[in-house]
Amino acid sequence: MDDSAEPLAEAPAEEPQSQTPVTEEPLVELRELRVEIDGRAIVDGVTLRVVPGKITALVGASGSGKTTTGLALLGEFPPGARVTGEVRRAADGLVGYVPQHPAAVLNPARRISALLTDIARAQVGHLPRAQRRAAARERVLRALAEAQLPDAEALLRRHPHQLSGGQQQRVVLAQALLLGARIIVADEPTTGQDALTKSRVVEQLAAVAARGIAVVLLSHDLDVVRALADEVIVMRAGRVVESGPAQRLWSAPRHPWTRELLAEQPQFTAQEGSAGQPVLQVRDLVARHRDPSARGSTEVLRTPRLDLHSGECLAVVGRSGSGKTTLARCLAGLHRDHDGEVLLDGVPLPRSLRGRSRAQLAAVQYVFQDARAAFDEHRPVLHQVARTAVRLRGTDPAAATREALATLSGLGLDEDLARRRPGRLSGGELQRAALARALLARPRVLVCDEITSGLDTVTRRGILDLLTTLLHDRDDDLSLVLITHDLDTAALAHHIAVLDAGELVEQGSAGQVLTAPRHPFTRSLLESTDRRRAGQASSAV
Amino acid sequence: MSGLRSFVARRLLLGAAQTVAVVLLVFALTEALPGDAAVALAGDQPDPARIAAIRETMHLDKPAYERLADWATGLLHGDLGTSLVSGRPVGRYIADGFGPTLLLATLTLALLVPLGFGLGVLAARHEGRLADRLISSVTLAVYAVPEFALGVLLVTVLALQLAWLPPTAVGYGTDLLGHPAALVLPVLVLLARPVCSLSRLVRAGMIDALASPYVAQARRYGISGPRVRYTHALPNALAPAVQQLARTVDWLLCGVIVVEALYVIPGLGTVLLNAVAERDVPVVQGLAVVFGVLTVVINLGADLVAHRLAPRAGVAA
Repeated sequence: MDDSAEPLAEAPAEEPQSQTPVTEEPLVELRELRVEIDGRAIVDGVTLRVVPGKITALVGASGSGKTTTGLALLGEFPPGARVTGEVRRAADGLVGYVPQHPAAVLNPARRISALLTDIARAQVGHLPRAQRRAAARERVLRALAEAQLPDAEALLRRHPHQLSGGQQQRVVLAQALLLGARIIVADEPTTGQDALTKSRVVEQLAAVAARGIAVVLLSHDLDVVRALADEVIVMRAGRVVESGPAQRLWSAPRHPWTRELLAEQPQFTAQEGSAGQPVLQVRDLVARHRDPSARGSTEVLRTPRLDLHSGECLAVVGRSGSGKTTLARCLAGLHRDHDGEVLLDGVPLPRSLRGRSRAQLAAVQYVFQDARAAFDEHRPVLHQVARTAVRLRGTDPAAATREALATLSGLGLDEDLARRRPGRLSGGELQRAALARALLARPRVLVCDEITSGLDTVTRRGILDLLTTLLHDRDDDLSLVLITHDLDTAALAHHIAVLDAGELVEQGSAGQVLTAPRHPFTRSLLESTDRRRAGQASSAV
Repeated sequence: MSGLRSFVARRLLLGAAQTVAVVLLVFALTEALPGDAAVALAGDQPDPARIAAIRETMHLDKPAYERLADWATGLLHGDLGTSLVSGRPVGRYIADGFGPTLLLATLTLALLVPLGFGLGVLAARHEGRLADRLISSVTLAVYAVPEFALGVLLVTVLALQLAWLPPTAVGYGTDLLGHPAALVLPVLVLLARPVCSLSRLVRAGMIDALASPYVAQARRYGISGPRVRYTHALPNALAPAVQQLARTVDWLLCGVIVVEALYVIPGLGTVLLNAVAERDVPVVQGLAVVFGVLTVVINLGADLVAHRLAPRAGVAA
């Protein structure tokens, strides 16, 4: 694209305009920052001012340089990087960091209190020795309260793995608040979270900004950006393509890339009541997990009856831990410990993968959330994709490779990409390859487990478009089970089943479930999604 | 916490079963050895009539299962039996031999822990640089030398040629503390390999921990270098090291036969060696029980410490 010079011309013209109401000095400023690794620029010519109390969002697809820019605000760069340009930080501009996976920065061998106490102890050095311990503890408890963590006393004694994902995130936020950070960099704080958790994160970050702390939000979750951001910076391939006040950017995006990013989501094929034959039927399914602490097993899922018709897309929605994935695994034969039956064309499927014939294995295919983990990192993607046809359909290797290439290119992966190893493909590309691998089995039912939740908007839309096309092209041959926590994604399906705490609380056509939910849980899920939308509307006023 | 308690209970039960199995196996193996205590006692003039007489007084003519049952009933009352050869209680044998063994083990451990962890942390801090390369190559080289070879080498150089230290502990009896010079060589040999394996494990764990995001977070928030190293990084490197340490302690208490034989130290290893040579079955069995119990307890302790250090891994038995 030749419009790469545009933002440089545009940025200075716009900045004074957005700065006029605030006369404050920036806490951190990046000027013409360029970060190069092995001669390849990851971040190129980024200029950014972070002002107290404002929320600045960096948006863009994965690999656009958001995280590198965010870490540059902390004064950190990837090893071996060549950095030019300027990072200017105010003297008291302490920066806190809340990474995408908060568990990674919590020490697995130490209690939650360890780092918090160390941070606090550095601040109470002026007190007499006898008072230091109590003063440090008081500071720690206050920071946890500010991060909206109730029951802090008990929490401090726990290890990170004994906390939920949301609690971990708030503990990491408490570390930053305790430090007295004036700026907090939050990297994808809502990725992979369900609607209720997302709205809590949004409230939390808004509260942080209200205390006069500058928040830098790195996100591809546009709902969250809309609800929170004062300033939005759109990045692509390491460059800023457009920046400005959130309101202006949303109402009148100037750059075509921004327009594409903000575009509406696609719809699956018309919601006509496709009354195909039931392909997959679930009858009286009760799944259990072994529970080592109780020396027995606990029931995690009850699904008395669920049907998937041919040519149909069924979305299974619910919060994390509601049993969605267990249901999907029961269908695919990956979870054996269950009662009841899963019928394919009226014939019961064996519970275990080992009991299923090749044809049965091929008929129900599973695509995992983490595409990277689902590939062997040492072999080219193409071999792994072709292998399905060899194993499950007895195709000879040469023909399988040809078919794999055709399928991959149909999904937008050319031969050059296909011959690489998984490490050299992006998350979105790998997810396409994973789809291709499943499709090579010529499945009747494709189970997609949160396959878009780790992806940015543009890539996600690409994958969902693909699924739509697949469903359309293969006519009644293929049915989809879409496991998701995202109601926007679920809205693309023909039917929706709602799971809460292992119970199937509601099922029906997508239109009916989304517009006239019968169960209170479905209503609360819908409300939290609406609230986020409303939040963005009110903040724009 | 109840999960942990039931884990300990299960492990102790399993440990008891394992100890019983070891005792049965040892009994069977000693039975399978050619000759018995009577033959060994009869010495150079194996007169069959004399051997039969000795057998009768020792009750060796009874069937094997009866002898085992007699010994087992005694064990339940806390009686390890009496030696066939000397008639002394087995308990005394073990108590006498335990002193020197425990002394050696304690000394070795007291030096091993700071040395192993210190070298490991030092190497990890200077990963890839001179200190690391030096420590890594020397530990690898020393680890490759078998203990008997190192023992003989040290005796030859330090005791026989330079005459700095006594070559063995012959003549000092069990009062080794009174003659510390005699302990230097055995402790050196005992230290050599464990220091290497321990420091290499600590080094690997520390390198991982120092490169981890949680250490980066601690540094980012201004925690001082030593505090990051010792209170945030090191605990993560400890879990595998503790398991290795337990194996070492187990080895020090139950099986330093080569070193004890080389330096003529009257510890448990020497007691075991003599008892096997004399077919003194009760003593061998008594030692098997002691070794079994020690092994079970030490490893359980290590598992509990490791669980505390790596609580995520959970416990398995």
